[in-house]
This record gives sequence, structure tokens and C-alpha cells, in this order.
Amino acid sequence: MVIEDIKAGIKGDIGREIFFYETVGSTNTIAAGLAEKGEAEGVVVIADSQERGRGRLGRFWVSPPGVNIYMSIILRPEIEPKDATLITIMAAVGCTSALRRLTGLNVTIKWPNDLMVSDKKIGGILTETKTAHKRIIYAITGIGINVNMDQDAFPEDIKEVATSVKMETGIPHSRTEIIIEILNAIDYWYRILKEMRRRMLLSEWQYLTSTLGRKVRVTVGKETFTGLAESIDDEGMLILRLPSGVLQKISAGDLTILR
Amino acid sequence: MEIEDLKELIELLKETDITELQLEKDGTKVRIKREKILSSMEIPVQKFGGLQEKITQETGEETRLITVTSPIVGTFYRSPSPEAASFVEVGSRVKKGQVLCIIEAMKLMNEIESEVDGIVVKPLVENGQPVEYGEPLFLIEPA
Repeated sequence: MVIEDIKAGIKGDIGREIFFYETVGSTNTIAAGLAEKGEAEGVVVIADSQERGRGRLGRFWVSPPGVNIYMSIILRPEIEPKDATLITIMAAVGCTSALRRLTGLNVTIKWPNDLMVSDKKIGGILTETKTAHKRIIYAITGIGINVNMDQDAFPEDIKEVATSVKMETGIPHSRTEIIIEILNAIDYWYRILKEMRRRMLLSEWQYLTSTLGRKVRVTVGKETFTGLAESIDDEGMLILRLPSGVLQKISAGDLTILR
Repeated sequence: MEIEDLKELIELLKETDITELQLEKDGTKVRIKREKILSSMEIPVQKFGGLQEKITQETGEETRLITVTSPIVGTFYRSPSPEAASFVEVGSRVKKGQVLCIIEAMKLMNEIESEVDGIVVKPLVENGQPVEYGEPLFLIEPA
């Protein structure tokens, strides 16, 4: 991976400045530190490997060197905190459309923003924001994509539920090209978000998702709901139709698609 | 006691912090009680379009507590991961800008900062509970 090659392919504001590291704890932590110091919107942190790559609630994200993409983007959207969930919608749409274009794979979104190929996870997105005085100070969108990882490199517990671009297509892919495509796609969709063209963003997400219309199980803290994933609301929250017919809004949780 | 005297007394009380007064004169008992008026103490923090969020400063005897409210709908977490220690406890001294909790909505982990230097008096929500927009999360006593 050569940063100059990535920069040469960047068309918009996202990725105009890139900080590259061989290894970090977590790119989200590095990006948050840079944002605290006042680094501008669009600055991107990329690492070849992460020692403490993480998902939601401090869960581990497998991040070996030389094969995958781990990057975080600093955003400073001037939107209300209650609309911040649109950032995760936007990032999922950007990553999915970019991966589809470059790899030809039928990548779909599992609510809210897991990147899936044939019900296996090929990428994940974790956004962390800092809010004070009812205002978003900054948002860090972290993206992990399994590109050239082989199945035996995954830990046992996720071997059956994780995949990579190489595993699905049978050939290795250029991480540089995928990074460029994703950053340019996010630049495009982030503009749509900033213009608050909510319908356009949400309908693109609906086009790319494989969750709606499926029977799902969602664990929210100590509660578990099973029902039909019927729609998403204006903030992207999941509307579940329970067996009783009652509609249940889900803001966060672990979602499993049932067969 | 004349009605005019009463009126004057009430007017006089309005200029003070006194909320209750009992008087006895010539066998007549008078008790005046006033509700605490909070509306004049409410400070609008930010004027976003349509956003009605306010921080309510309560003026009690000696304390003036600040209520931290949730800016989003989501799940409330007192620590960054289930195994980790809470960001703050009752009695924790916090600095302005220090993280108090996380509200998660759709894999968006929203760190809520303290808006003042102060002491955490009380968390109002249990770990892992869903919270609504504007729901009170913490009471903070400003330093």
C-alpha cells in the first residue's frame, strides 16, 4: 500500500489528507486523538494492522497485517445529534456501492451497517461521535474490510460467519483501489447527508440491504425480539413487526437473520 | 389584618427566595406558600431548528444541579465495554469535556461530554437501558 497512490485517486474532500501507520492500537482511537487536536473533516487514518481493532461494545476486530483495510475518517457534520445515525447509513451505502462496483460481488447491508456477502460478514463499520451542548463535535467512522484474508486466518469462533473479497472471488484484490473507491463513494454520499437529502440516502440503503422483509432476531441488552424486519424510519432505526402484530422500534442491538 | 396588607406582603415575598411564610396577629393566622418558579431559571443552550432542548438549572436551598439529557434515542452505557469500569460514579469529580457515558444507536457510539466542571450527584439511568430523546441521564453539581 502506497499512500501517494491512494491520494492520486482521491476526487473529493474525504481522504485529501491521509495519516498512514504500519501498526496502531485502533485507527478510531488515533483519528479521535487527531480530531481532539483540531484536525479537519475528511482526514483519514489508515493502518496496515491493528493490535486492538474493535467493534461495538469493545468487541475485537481481527486485524492482521498485509491483507485487509482498516481506516477511520474524521467528520464534522453540522447536523442535529438525533440525525447522527444517518452517518452510519451513509457509510454503509458508500462502502457497499464501492465494493459492488470493484469486485462484482453481491455485497448487501445487514441492519444497520454490516457488510455481507451470502450471509457472511465481509466488512464492518463503527462510528464514534462526541457530543456536547446538543452538538456533534466530531464523528469518527471506522471501516474494516476483509480483502485478501484466507479462511484459516480467521479465529475459530468467526470462521463460519466471516469472509473476505478473496475468499468470495477466488482472486486477490488491490487494497489501494478499494480504499480509493470507498473514500470517493463516501465523499459523494456524505455530501448528500450534509444537504440532508434524507430520502435519497435512506432509499439507497433500502436498495442495498438484505435485512428488510426477513425474519430476524434482535438482542437489545437483556431483551430479545423476534419478528419481521419491516422497514426503517427517518433516522434509520429498524421497525420490527412482532408476532402479535405490534410494531417495535429498535435503536441498537445484535441482529441475526433467521431462515 | 387588611387585604391591602396581605397584597403588600405577597409582593414583598416575590422579591425574595422565601417560599413559605406563616404569620399570626391578633388571633388571625395567615400562611402564604409559593411554588418554586423554575421557568425563569431555564437556560436555552443551543438554538437548532425546532430543537427545544434545555438544561434546567434547579435552584434549591444551596445546590443548583445540572441535568444532563440524552441528545438521541438509543441504549445507555456507563462504560466503554461490558468488562470496563464505568466512566463516572456517584461523587466522581468531572471536568468540562469529560466523557460521562455512551449512548448507542445503530452502531453509532455517542460519547456524552460533561458541559461543566462538577461532581456527579446521581446517574438516572441503569446500564444497558434504552433512553429516549431528551431523557435525563445524570445530575451534576457544578463546581
